[in-house]
Amino acid sequence: MRTTEQPQGRTSHATGPAPGVGPGLSAAPALHAAAWLVWAVSAAATAQLASSPVYVSLVIGAALLIVAAHGRDTALSAAFPLLLGAAVAFAVLRVVLTAATTHGVGGAWVTLPSATLPTLLGGFTVGGTVEGPVVLGAAAEGFALVGIVAAFAAFNAVVSHAELVESAPRAFHEPGLVVTVALAFVPATVAAVRSIREADRARTGGRVVRKGRLLRQLVPLLESGMEKGVALSESMEARGFAHHGPGAGERAAGWAGLGSLLALGAGFVALVGGAEVVALLFAVAGVVALVVAVLVASRGTSRVRYRPRRLAPTDAAVALASSLAPLGVVALGLGGNETLRWTADPLALPAVDVVACLAVLLLLAPAVVPPARAGGAPASVQGPSGQAERHEPAT
Amino acid sequence: MSVLLYDDVRFAYPGGEPALTGVDLEVAAGAVLLLVGSSGSGKSTLLRCGNGLVPHVSGGRFGGDVVVAGRSTRTHPPRALADVVGFVHQDPEAQLVVDEVERDVAFVLENLGMAAAAMRRRVEEVLDALGIAHLRHRSPATLSGGERQRCAIAGALAAGPSVLLLDEPTSQLDPQGADDVLAAVGRLNDDLGTTVVLAEHRLERAAPLATAAALVEAGRIVVSGSPGRVLADYPGAPTVTRLGRALGWDPLPLTVRQARSLAGGAAAALAPGDLARPEPLRRAGGAALVGATGVRVDLGGRTVLSGVELDVVEGEVVAVLGRNGAGKSTLLRALAGLVGLRGGRVVRSGAVAYVPQDPGALLFRPTVRREVEETLRLLGGTGRGARPEVDRWLDALGLSHLEGRHPRSLSGGERQRLAVAAVAVGGAPVLALDEPTRGMDAASRTALERAVRAHAAAGGAVVLATHDVELAARCATRAVVLADGEVVAQGDARTVLAGSLFAPQTLRVLPPYLTVEEVQAALARSSS
Repeated sequence: MRTTEQPQGRTSHATGPAPGVGPGLSAAPALHAAAWLVWAVSAAATAQLASSPVYVSLVIGAALLIVAAHGRDTALSAAFPLLLGAAVAFAVLRVVLTAATTHGVGGAWVTLPSATLPTLLGGFTVGGTVEGPVVLGAAAEGFALVGIVAAFAAFNAVVSHAELVESAPRAFHEPGLVVTVALAFVPATVAAVRSIREADRARTGGRVVRKGRLLRQLVPLLESGMEKGVALSESMEARGFAHHGPGAGERAAGWAGLGSLLALGAGFVALVGGAEVVALLFAVAGVVALVVAVLVASRGTSRVRYRPRRLAPTDAAVALASSLAPLGVVALGLGGNETLRWTADPLALPAVDVVACLAVLLLLAPAVVPPARAGGAPASVQGPSGQAERHEPAT
Repeated sequence: MSVLLYDDVRFAYPGGEPALTGVDLEVAAGAVLLLVGSSGSGKSTLLRCGNGLVPHVSGGRFGGDVVVAGRSTRTHPPRALADVVGFVHQDPEAQLVVDEVERDVAFVLENLGMAAAAMRRRVEEVLDALGIAHLRHRSPATLSGGERQRCAIAGALAAGPSVLLLDEPTSQLDPQGADDVLAAVGRLNDDLGTTVVLAEHRLERAAPLATAAALVEAGRIVVSGSPGRVLADYPGAPTVTRLGRALGWDPLPLTVRQARSLAGGAAAALAPGDLARPEPLRRAGGAALVGATGVRVDLGGRTVLSGVELDVVEGEVVAVLGRNGAGKSTLLRALAGLVGLRGGRVVRSGAVAYVPQDPGALLFRPTVRREVEETLRLLGGTGRGARPEVDRWLDALGLSHLEGRHPRSLSGGERQRLAVAAVAVGGAPVLALDEPTRGMDAASRTALERAVRAHAAAGGAVVLATHDVELAARCATRAVVLADGEVVAQGDARTVLAGSLFAPQTLRVLPPYLTVEEVQAALARSSS
């Protein structure tokens, strides 16, 4: 009864998976979101604790390998190089700023014209001598920062965000969903920016008009984003989102969560300001409020979850192995290992310790796990593998 | 028994003119109701009333009552109707919430608090019903439009609603995707008895599905009844229906098969005569405006075009056909100089202006007229005072009456025409239009086709990348078929389209005629 009048091959699917995103493709991730989270936190902590460029390189290498092995076919995986690039740019900026404002260490490379800011603005000198140890030290710190970002960018590329939201405590479900939806807008926005820039050029037959270009490109972006946002909210509303409304427990949990965030933030400010006792008090209050929020919310209406994923032995093993990396580094540090940190003054090549290298390389644990196959669920998903894809509900 | 009932529904958007002016409608359980009408007639608003998005989300003044499965939308917001009504709108990009297909399908079930075992089973059933089980772990961002739209329907259907509201579900899709989506909708109606209310412009595929139809005009239903009856006088009716109307067939056909069985001796009554295209090829005398030689384009490590040869001369309308991903858009962008060439060259004797698929990428001024003037301003004019070409293009595309409107308040088809006007006003001799009829109603298509023909007749040329074979049949002087980045057929539009399995509907019923207009002309000749 349906007709075909287009010059089309009816059998071929023209749009395949997006090219260039790892071989893991579209299957559910090979590991549980919690295992990935432990891995990411361990990797970031390792980069922070063993901040010598040697070990940070190892962390970044591990992150790259793991994205190559487990990178998913999601839009966010494609953001991995973008995030790394942003981290590098930030590190470079930081080196420049530090070099321009830190003086008096010695070992000047060049001397630039300088200006001293009024006391009201900090009273420091911008420009002047650019000193070798300062630049190298800042570069090493920046590199450690790139390592931390690499850990979280890799986490983004390999984890299923939906699964992450699902496995979060009830109190974090709504904020988690909001974050997931917002993240899903990022790649769509990048694509929109590209087409808007092209449309702007095409309009004048290829001639580039710089004047007013920002406005010409920003307005369509914002307006299209608004239209998409409205459509999405309609879709969520039509599919019963917030059908039951928040219960009393959830409201209480929301306030407790907000309170904990404020207290933790205040604690951080106090720590920066050097008031350690106040900081400690705020931190304790924040943690207590957070625990209360999680407990209260989880005790309230039990949210039914679709196909919750259980932790498999592989997940636990990977999480354990990964977490041994920062623990090992801490142990080495307590044992007096001097190679973990590197200082540019006096200048020397960073030293390498084989045991520390091995500890850091524990972060490669996820690479041992075979990547998930496209189209099929991994064995760790509830239900008998393979059979679970049929009709009968899993037990 | 009616499952969806509109009782004297009146509605106006906040600060706007009335959008619905007294709609009475009864949708029987198990029906497929097709809503037709021009853009801005109120079809979309009517559908949104069905699950309470109007007025609960939209705001505005609402009168009358809508009762769906025994619940009034006056007392039930959309989220309280999620178990009885599913809603899908036209943009496949902006209605999937969760970044994994099966979890997105389960979204409504989780919201409704269904038991875990029942939920698991329901998701499996719905994935099978829409034929998307193989996509279950994919991220919607990596799917094609048709696949995404089927996921959206699955998400709306998971709760087992008795009514499914579809707002132009195929208007943003290529024909393959549209076929897949409508086939799935038909199957749902057959197998599960789900009542479907469907608003559509592209009726070639949708009309055969419908058990009933209603024509919406200016916020009210003017005709309702059997699809054949409602579409009898509708300008946007499927081509075969208009053919049947021209030849006085009764009952009017909705499908090519029905039309063939009615066509019997019709061909004998026609005088073939001269079947020249409206603007015949002028290859002999015309100057080449843009020429591509051995063009190769690589994008993202993939060869998208290779060895493409194409000359576009004055007075031509070239239709570039081919499936999704065949390289149609890339060819147009290469002609316009918007992508780098890996090999070959493109020689332009004048500017080539490219109109992108998504007009939203272009529009940023507060009114239609200022949007068109903006291009002239960018090209060095002052943009002030009377500019004859602005009026000429607004008029050519039938936008004069909309010149004070905000571009974002226009319908899809109107926006598309505005984008064409805003780009064409720059005076480029060659216009490259990418999928210009996507989401257009009959009036918009007619206006666009007229403008395209006029531009070519005035010594310009138009290159259309399109899935719309009927558009190619009515406008094109030449057709190029692309597949996998290579030209597989090229030549006079009649020859290329006639030799194809995917010919326009008229040609399939009454060869060698390409369009209803040609049949009418032949009919006039034979009767005179």
